[in-house]
Amino acid sequence: MRCILHTIFFHRTLTLVRPKDVDCGLFEITYVQCGLADLEKEVDEKINQFIAWVEKHPNRRSQVCLSFFDEKNKNPCWFSNKTERIYWEQWFINLHVISPKGHGKSHSSKATTDLGGKALEETSSRRAALGLLIQEVLFQIINFANEKKDHIPLISDRIFNHEIMIPSSSDSVFGWNADVLRRVLNS
Amino acid sequence: MSSMSDSGSSGRAGAELMVEQFHLKVLHAVLAVRGPRPLTPAASASFRRRDRWFHLPLHDPPPLPAAEGLEAPTPGEPLVVDIHLAPAGGGGAGGEVVERWTVACEPWPDAAAAAAGEGIAVNRAYKRCMTLLRSVYATLRLLPAYRVFRLLCANQSYNYEMVHHVRSFAVPFSRVDEAAMRSYRFVPVETQPGRLVVSVQYLPSLAAFNLEISSLSSSMLIPDYVGSPAAEPMRAFPASLTEATGSAFPPFYQPQRPHSWAPPALWSHAPAQQARFSPPQLLYASPTPSPPNFTSGYLQPRPKGESAPISIVHVGERRNPVPHQIVLEPTRGFMLPPPSPRRVGETGTASAQQSPSEISRSFGRADGLRMMDAYASLSPGRKGKDSKDESGRFSALSSCDSPRRDDIDDADYPFAVDDVDPPTFQPGSSDGKEARDQASSSSHKSQDAAVGSLVHLLRSARPLRDSNCPSQTSTAESNQAASTSSVVSRRKSDALEELQSFKEIKERLLSRSRSAKQQESPEKP
Repeated sequence: MRCILHTIFFHRTLTLVRPKDVDCGLFEITYVQCGLADLEKEVDEKINQFIAWVEKHPNRRSQVCLSFFDEKNKNPCWFSNKTERIYWEQWFINLHVISPKGHGKSHSSKATTDLGGKALEETSSRRAALGLLIQEVLFQIINFANEKKDHIPLISDRIFNHEIMIPSSSDSVFGWNADVLRRVLNS
Repeated sequence: MSSMSDSGSSGRAGAELMVEQFHLKVLHAVLAVRGPRPLTPAASASFRRRDRWFHLPLHDPPPLPAAEGLEAPTPGEPLVVDIHLAPAGGGGAGGEVVERWTVACEPWPDAAAAAAGEGIAVNRAYKRCMTLLRSVYATLRLLPAYRVFRLLCANQSYNYEMVHHVRSFAVPFSRVDEAAMRSYRFVPVETQPGRLVVSVQYLPSLAAFNLEISSLSSSMLIPDYVGSPAAEPMRAFPASLTEATGSAFPPFYQPQRPHSWAPPALWSHAPAQQARFSPPQLLYASPTPSPPNFTSGYLQPRPKGESAPISIVHVGERRNPVPHQIVLEPTRGFMLPPPSPRRVGETGTASAQQSPSEISRSFGRADGLRMMDAYASLSPGRKGKDSKDESGRFSALSSCDSPRRDDIDDADYPFAVDDVDPPTFQPGSSDGKEARDQASSSSHKSQDAAVGSLVHLLRSARPLRDSNCPSQTSTAESNQAASTSSVVSRRKSDALEELQSFKEIKERLLSRSRSAKQQESPEKP
């Protein structure tokens, strides 16, 4: 998650950045961060919230959405100061978090070792496959980020307005995010 | 950069400048993660103005191409960077291209396209270039060559090395190589001069390169190996004594090593430690080690005409080990009277004559060496009579045991030490015991000659302290001078004592000869 989000931010943060290479030890992937402390903190908080949600809803498909928007005053007048968000780009990250299988009881140490060895092999192969998958996702991000660039607003001295939407506990059975519904109603 | 004007010629110039800077930036980004180098601490957060192009400052390596000796990419020509993996130590030869980056500004194919391109706003193109550069930056870290780069940065002892070649043209791949490579072309950016295109061809897997740490690391000079001058504290070496070495050692080296004949104050190495001072290179050759270190192989590289310390050792080995020991263990030589130079099996005189005179003589001999050393600093380059030039003036010392006339006449040698012959009578005696008389007269003559030469040498000896000697400023040098002067004064006193002893011997011999004559005269008929 961190790898994917930061790669997107790196492509869409056109202010002066301090690129920082970060090694993802689990998958032998090196991705780039913008080197902005506030952004890193925000991403970490959202990931922690997402992990908490996954722990409550194991083995469920989920979606994380990273949106970039502009804010404009909607119907500016003396009595209302509503702002309107105009999303100019949204990234949808579909995830399916699978809980690791538990180990069955064993009656001998040798059996335990065999099971442990097999589990390690499975874990390492799974990890390798996931690493390749993540690498493919990163290449996809690079492709998408370069395909469409004309819609990007003018460069400012700060990063573009954005938000990271994660599944919340109030999600309905159909997977609708309450925040998304609220936004749709407000728009 | 974000305020580049879009209008007219200034827009065109700005676009061309942007394209040129983009080429440089891509080259910098590629070589930053494809040129293995030792890991360095994180660079400072401050950026130079020119690093802010495309809002992506790059730290290491230094801005190209000046830092790496590369020529700036020619405007209008493509930039091709080939990354090779070559066997280590081959200077990049025999390598295989694992990655090729190509940056080019393709001109508009026709006039219509060119006209359309002229309308492209520079700011808009600049923004697109920023995104493209970030994509290049991220891609560089996702390709397989990046892993190899990190390995080689962490440890440069691998059997492969990563080298790069920057050209303005692409050397065509063979069909086999072309088929093995994957290619990726980034979305081009349209600018006024043309379409800015970046593409990469790479090997999807580098497993065929069996990267492993090579046991044969590249040779490198270890300046601070154990026992080297750089590894141990140095002491200043007096100029007066360094002159004795002539040009044996580099000037910067001489003050750093205590000399073998240095006073005890400067001698900090025990003989056992001296054996470590093996001189693998002339630069680190130490004059101080004990004799076993000065092998012939060590002596040979020295140019002829240079003098001690080699000669001292050489002399000691050849002749009398006592002075040799004294020289190399000056604490013993200065603090205690030296043992008798006579060994078992050597022909010698009566023991009675050995102890006081022999001791004093040998001490004098040793002091003669010391005196010689002191004189050596004052008058370098005096060659001895022995044929070997590298013995220098110290070859005269080799004649301590059996002085020759010419050696004795050497003004630099203060002592004409002779073997003590059996007591003889006065020369010129015409009595019956001609052989004994001749022996006594000859011994008397030699003794007289020795005494006389000794007196002559003492009178004509140079001052112990030369006024032309450069003043010694450092504390070590002053200590050296003080100890040397004490040694010299001791030698002088010893010399006087020896002179006294010779006089006593002379008187004794004269009295014996008189008594012998008196005894003979009554016997005559």
